[in-house]
Amino acid sequence: MSFYSPVRTNAQEAAKSDSLPLFRFVEDPEQTKIDTYEAHGGYQAWRKTLTEMTPEQVVGEVKNAGLRGRGGAGFPAGVKWGFVPKGSTKPKYLICNADESEPGTCKDRVLLERDPHAVIEGMAIASYAIDCHLMFIYIRGEFGYAADVMRAAMAEAYKKGQLGKNIHGGGYDLDMIVHTGGGAYVCGEETAQTNSIEGRRGNARMKPPFPAVAGLYGCPTIVNNVETLASVPHIINRGGDWYKTLGTEKSTGSKIFSLSGHVRQPGNYELLLGHNLKDLIYSPKYGGGIIGDKKLKGVIPGGSSTPFLKPDQIDVSLDYESLASAGTMLGSGAVIVFHEETCIVWIITKLIRFYRHESCGKCTPCREGTAWLELLINRIEQGGGKPGDIEKIESICDNIMGRTVCPLGDAAVMPIKSAIAQWRDEWQYHIDHGKCLVETKCELAPGN
Amino acid sequence: MAEKTDKNTVVVEKTPTVTFTLDGREVTVPKGTTILLAAQSVGIDIPTLCWHPKLTIAGSCRMCYVEIEKWPKLAISCATEAMDGMVVYTDSDLVRKGRAAVIQFTLMNHPLDCPTCDKGGECTLQDLAFAYGVDNSEFDFGKHRFGATENDTTFDDVVVGPEIVLNRNRCIRCYRCIRANKEAFGEFDLGVFERGNHTEINVAPGRRLDNPFSGNLTEVCPVGALTHLDWRYKIRVWLTDTTSSICPFYSSGSNILLYTNQQQNKIYRATSRVNDDIDDGWLSDTTRFGYQVAMSPDRLKMPLIKKDGKQVEATWEEALKLIGKRLTEITEKKGRVCIGGLVASSQDNATLFSFSKLLRKVVGSNNIDFRTDYRMLPQTSGGAYDVLCSQPFSIVGINQSDVIVTLGSDLVKEHPNEYLRIRKAVNFGAVSVYAMNPYRTKSSDVAKKELVYQAGTEEILINSICLVAIEDGLIDSSLAGNLAECISPSTAAESAELCEVNLEDIRAIARALADGRQITFFAGEIVGRSINREAIAAALCNLHRLFGLSGRCQMNILPRHANSCGAVQLGLLPAPVLATKDMLSKLWGGWPESEPQTTDRMMANMKKDEIDGYMIVGANPIMLYPDREFATDALEGLDFLMVADLFETETTALADVVLPLASWAEYSGEYVNLEGRVQKTHQALKTDYDARPGYEIAALIAQQLEQPLFENDQTRDETITKVLAVDSTLPWPDEFLEVKHVADEVDEEYPLVLFVGDDSHHSGYLTEKSNSLTNFQAEPYVEISPTLAKRLGIDDGDSVRVESPVGKIVVPVRISHHINNDVVFVPMNFSGKQVNSLIMRKSRVDRVRISKVVD
Repeated sequence: MSFYSPVRTNAQEAAKSDSLPLFRFVEDPEQTKIDTYEAHGGYQAWRKTLTEMTPEQVVGEVKNAGLRGRGGAGFPAGVKWGFVPKGSTKPKYLICNADESEPGTCKDRVLLERDPHAVIEGMAIASYAIDCHLMFIYIRGEFGYAADVMRAAMAEAYKKGQLGKNIHGGGYDLDMIVHTGGGAYVCGEETAQTNSIEGRRGNARMKPPFPAVAGLYGCPTIVNNVETLASVPHIINRGGDWYKTLGTEKSTGSKIFSLSGHVRQPGNYELLLGHNLKDLIYSPKYGGGIIGDKKLKGVIPGGSSTPFLKPDQIDVSLDYESLASAGTMLGSGAVIVFHEETCIVWIITKLIRFYRHESCGKCTPCREGTAWLELLINRIEQGGGKPGDIEKIESICDNIMGRTVCPLGDAAVMPIKSAIAQWRDEWQYHIDHGKCLVETKCELAPGN
Repeated sequence: MAEKTDKNTVVVEKTPTVTFTLDGREVTVPKGTTILLAAQSVGIDIPTLCWHPKLTIAGSCRMCYVEIEKWPKLAISCATEAMDGMVVYTDSDLVRKGRAAVIQFTLMNHPLDCPTCDKGGECTLQDLAFAYGVDNSEFDFGKHRFGATENDTTFDDVVVGPEIVLNRNRCIRCYRCIRANKEAFGEFDLGVFERGNHTEINVAPGRRLDNPFSGNLTEVCPVGALTHLDWRYKIRVWLTDTTSSICPFYSSGSNILLYTNQQQNKIYRATSRVNDDIDDGWLSDTTRFGYQVAMSPDRLKMPLIKKDGKQVEATWEEALKLIGKRLTEITEKKGRVCIGGLVASSQDNATLFSFSKLLRKVVGSNNIDFRTDYRMLPQTSGGAYDVLCSQPFSIVGINQSDVIVTLGSDLVKEHPNEYLRIRKAVNFGAVSVYAMNPYRTKSSDVAKKELVYQAGTEEILINSICLVAIEDGLIDSSLAGNLAECISPSTAAESAELCEVNLEDIRAIARALADGRQITFFAGEIVGRSINREAIAAALCNLHRLFGLSGRCQMNILPRHANSCGAVQLGLLPAPVLATKDMLSKLWGGWPESEPQTTDRMMANMKKDEIDGYMIVGANPIMLYPDREFATDALEGLDFLMVADLFETETTALADVVLPLASWAEYSGEYVNLEGRVQKTHQALKTDYDARPGYEIAALIAQQLEQPLFENDQTRDETITKVLAVDSTLPWPDEFLEVKHVADEVDEEYPLVLFVGDDSHHSGYLTEKSNSLTNFQAEPYVEISPTLAKRLGIDDGDSVRVESPVGKIVVPVRISHHINNDVVFVPMNFSGKQVNSLIMRKSRVDRVRISKVVD
């Protein structure tokens, strides 16, 4: 199953800019070829790492750059690498988490499909930093085309001596395995992902021990997001000090935002962290405003697991701290926009169906709770809501939140809790009148 | 591999401790102890569903919530380690609310069919719902039903194995069964399918849940999702009483509980009576379902005596009179002692000791033995084999070892408990396991390396380990002494070649033995049954000496039966070890003059008319002696044969008097397990027909011979205690013993090596009377490798003829990956086929050929 995603990007802007490195070449159809990638300055960071830097220096540079995990949690990448126990005699593993499945998020896919060598190079440098000689990329099962591209790129990298034995004569060996998932959202969680690679059922493991201490096959393992790793070569090439100048003080660098929903121009846009959310939605360079010039109803700023923002909250800086103080999260950077003719209950039925389906079945609250929530929310949507259902939903949410091994339970209930808090009247109307306050007109712009 | 932490074991060594506050009281525990275990240690009970003391922690049920001050959310106590200064509440409002929510979630789709559920009354979920549940669930939707589709009519119960029934709707997805099956038993026939609240436990496609430990899963299941057919819908658990007992089939003596109903005089089931030192809470299916033997309708109900060549029912009085009369007649006629006895080592101490006294003191002979299925036994005692058998051995010692070596033992079939122990050692410790077997066994699953050697070369194999150690300088050269002169071939390479093993593998074992700090090294039945056992034992003694294993190794040849150790210690050997003999002759005021005769020698002498009267208790030599023709000829040649047994067997058919023997469940008795531990069984059933325990039979016979055995039961038991207290450990030889290679002749006509033994669900000749066990396996088969099957054009289940130079049988084929291409295995547990007719008493290695039967 090969499928190239024709998603809109701001590559032209990035090509002209000095500060949007990830998207600079993504519209170049030849970029997947190693020769083009090298001609564009690719693998120089890798060569520099091997020939000029110690692993400690690599970790130091990335720490200095302030690069934070782009998968959702925003944990500093360099700090994470530093958790690998010093002097451990066990093999260490690096896993590139390309199991991008959060609804609304499609940023990694662009990188995987259009700039695979950047991902490989980032993985290689991270591997060197943690003394790993076998790195994995775990690609979402549905990303057949991306996996094909990645395998071809890997073969090229081996052929060109970027991977394999004694790379660039520096005495460093590095092998790579492309592993495709079986179609489970939960395998995007790092411990479930390690289980999946080991051939086990994709259930999350308890932490501690953290993967950096005992992960894949019980050995120290670092799991990083695609976008995080793709940013690493640029930090090595140009230095952490340069990277720090991008973005805000605590949220450095650039980040890809996947804009979807009721906007004129959905797409992936690389922006500096700290960019204004309103500008992303309304600027003609990016979202271009709401379709049909309708009014905005709300925005999910960081992927389906993050709480909603209402129109009066969207004049906000897109960085980890500002969104946290607005009561939501930067997450994976998937901005989903809803206009005024969307029923909040209808939105939530879609989300809960997803989370109920993706709950792995391990922890009682998530396994049973998501199923119960789906029944309740569907009942309300279909006009059969009963008095007290809203309170029941809230109570179930409270009993799931923070009560499970992995964050899937939290992810399922956060948007629900927020949807009720922000639009309680709409929920109540639904129950009282058995129908929507605002009838959903499901029209989307092309490209969604 | 990633989940290798054993948080369930409280570390006893001197480790740093932590002190924290638990429900207002200060508690100090070793660092690393979970809050749950810390609470248990001070008697605070935290409810759990998915947690199990013997399994890794899943942390999924969320029942064991506790509140910890300054923590943002409730913590699960099963997985949270206690830390200094923590303030923990196990029963706060928040905790109770959290648990109530979990119970509500768990009951959402649970059918609540307690009235018809066999777990009712002993169901953890039921108890916790009682403690934390609400009477009115807020869940007002229809419940999810597994299997409730048009095509799937298995609405509730799915029979997933010969005994196990699965009810997915009752399942609470605690994954205990999955973990037990995988971690404790190493079995993969059960799996998790689907996800979310459609997650279900089920048997792997195309498989049945029939592993040798499957019954345990019904016990680890906290609800009624896994039950076994034998228990279902028979009785409510609160209408049963429990009787503690032990396993009568294996030498480790697993502790069991028998669930009985006294009015009905019936045993309903057996469960584990967890003894961490012995069984660790797991039972093999044979142990679990073996109780049914005692209740079989086929039991012998009255004595039989032979009249005009036919056995007819008789009273005990008639039978005993006849025994007394014939025994006296025979002795008087011959004018010397010509009476012998065979008392099975599955019998309790009192029976063994009573018969020992009957034969030695009353009859005045040394013709007594307990071994039915060993051929060519040595007539004397104190050889290398006895030295090894007498060595101390501890089951928990297995878990304290860093090196475990087994020789000639199909562990799962002979020593299921020890197999699980080794698995545990491998799961939770840094241990190297080496198994050496003449065919590939399930030990391969746990061993670093299962070394498969040419059948019949055990002693050379052990020699080669010694030689490699000398050649590679792994041991202090001064220890080697004259060993090289005592053994042949004299190089490791030659020896390895004879055994057809890789020298590198030998080297690995030698290195492990040289470096091991705490070693467990034991041999099993393949050594015990070998006519070469003395040479193998000598080689092992040499190895023990060469590697300087004293003090850092427990080495033994493990006994096979529930009371084998008791039999040895109570002097049931024709020539007991000196210490025991001294004690007994002191007690009995003398020792018989007659030549000690083993079962084997007695049989030979029966043919020569030198043994005329024979008493057998609980043994079936015609079926189990490794030469059927020889055993039949011998017993037929007797003037008088008395057999006491639970059932009519091939052997009772030849008897002049048959006595109904009481089963282990029908009287209280003591047994000595392989560690020398004396364990008690208690009476669970009344014999509602006239069967009597062996010790009573011995006493009655002695009465007939006008020499009462003991004043009363108490004096008997006191004497037994005295005899058991004798230290019968034999010293290791103080020199190297001679172990030379003797070539075995191979008849090209019979190219396959035959091994016989127990099926993994049976033990001995009695278990085919257990319905549950025959549900697992009801008839003999020949186990062959896939490659051999392909070569011979045989499919699984085809009938084949197994022929040896002396006999042939026709049995179905079972293709197994746990066997080699030149080896076949046939179980001996089924009377339907005369498996031992294939075997010759004097052969070192039994060989056969097989061919497909064309109808």
